[in-house]
Amino acid sequence: MWDHKDEILDGFWITIKLSLVGGFFALIWGLILSLIRQLPGKVLAPFRWITIGYIDVLRGIPLLLVILLISNGLATLASEGVIPKEIGIPQWLGESDPFWYGVIALTLTYGAYMAEVYRAGIEAVPRGQMEAARSLGMSHGQAMRYVIVPQAVRKVVPPLLNDFIALTKDTALISAIGLAETVQVGSDLYSQFFSLSGYTAGAICFLVLTLPLARLVDWQIKKQDEKFQRGIP
Amino acid sequence: MSDSILSVTNLKKSYGKLEVLKDIDMEIKKGEVVCVIGPSGSGKSTLLRCLNMLEQPDGGTITLKGNQVFGDGKSQDLDVLRRDVGMVFQSFNLFPNMTAEGNVSIAQRKVRNRKGDFCKERSVELLTQVGLAEKVDEYPDRLSGGQQQRVAIARALAMDPEVMLFDEVTSALDPELVKGVLDVMRGLADDGMTMVCVTHEMAFAKEVSDRVIFMDGGLIVEQGKPEDVLGNPQEERTQRFLGLVLDH
Repeated sequence: MWDHKDEILDGFWITIKLSLVGGFFALIWGLILSLIRQLPGKVLAPFRWITIGYIDVLRGIPLLLVILLISNGLATLASEGVIPKEIGIPQWLGESDPFWYGVIALTLTYGAYMAEVYRAGIEAVPRGQMEAARSLGMSHGQAMRYVIVPQAVRKVVPPLLNDFIALTKDTALISAIGLAETVQVGSDLYSQFFSLSGYTAGAICFLVLTLPLARLVDWQIKKQDEKFQRGIP
Repeated sequence: MSDSILSVTNLKKSYGKLEVLKDIDMEIKKGEVVCVIGPSGSGKSTLLRCLNMLEQPDGGTITLKGNQVFGDGKSQDLDVLRRDVGMVFQSFNLFPNMTAEGNVSIAQRKVRNRKGDFCKERSVELLTQVGLAEKVDEYPDRLSGGQQQRVAIARALAMDPEVMLFDEVTSALDPELVKGVLDVMRGLADDGMTMVCVTHEMAFAKEVSDRVIFMDGGLIVEQGKPEDVLGNPQEERTQRFLGLVLDH
């Protein structure tokens, strides 16, 4: 198996890149969704409904299905000339099109999950904070930006990290569209040599990523608890 | 009534079937200190919250400095209204992610568009005025309730409001911390600030206010000079309430 360590490490590197890029966009997309969901007033209600609908639907569909829909959907639209080839078959920054289909699918699905996490954080900020900010003449947007979101984000770091761990593992599903990430490399080695060691090496790779993250989550929670319980011996 | 700064006519507010404000008319003159008293559930806090539109009234009008900010069920330019009306809450509501100075500076910077150095200078000046010169760089969780409430007063003052609203600002404080906050409010009244205070501090109302309003059941039952309303109430409901409050 040692002879194939380069292939395995290449696959692992793709897994890491997928996790980071997909996680980055999902974090941003989730925050945007949660902010739209919190918009005030009757006029903006349709935006709230659309967002709620989006979040419900994306959380209700298997990620694998989203990956297949995105990759085949975009490729089909590009081949029929509905959208430019650069968008339908994206090969930006030297990465393959399955990589970008994966990033898009991860962003769409995990953005919905993370939007719910942000929402819990925003709703956990006491109502009086928004009232105090508005009473000073801040707009809803300013109050969100300077007062509510900074407090909410701190509260939701551990659950966001948990979602990130889940996202990292779910990058494995992108092997279904032929991306040579960790699991796909393991499968290739299995079909060549009928040896499970490719899979085993893959599992170890994932653990190298996820175990430290799990410890980081615990450490973050402990840190927050300590702050909360300061003064109690 | 040229010196009227805030006036309210026929103000109504319901939560579902519960009529919290039935028909309120009120006129606040520049420099006047008005204390609103009454039993819990009488609508006094709701009235105060309507004055800067934290609650949307169901009917009536609110006029600030001659500009109608609420009328015909519609409101205008709330951020402008709120800029000129400072509010201090029972539960302080300081921003825990900012220092005392940050709390006082943030709205100056973002709403009044003042420069950073100027804001900081003004914030330190205001914190000194409320007796917290030492606490400028402390975060709220390192301050006592009384200190937090004084930061909250400084934060509202930083916007140079025309009117200050105080919503039971000492009710959440330990008894020994109340005086420091009331002293700051006394100082403001002496400096000529227009103030509307919902309060249970009868001694404060008697000493500082120009006018006391007694509310019950969503209506203004009685109002007048503090010595009259508190010392010689005419209405039976006022007498009963004061009997209960002063008698312990």
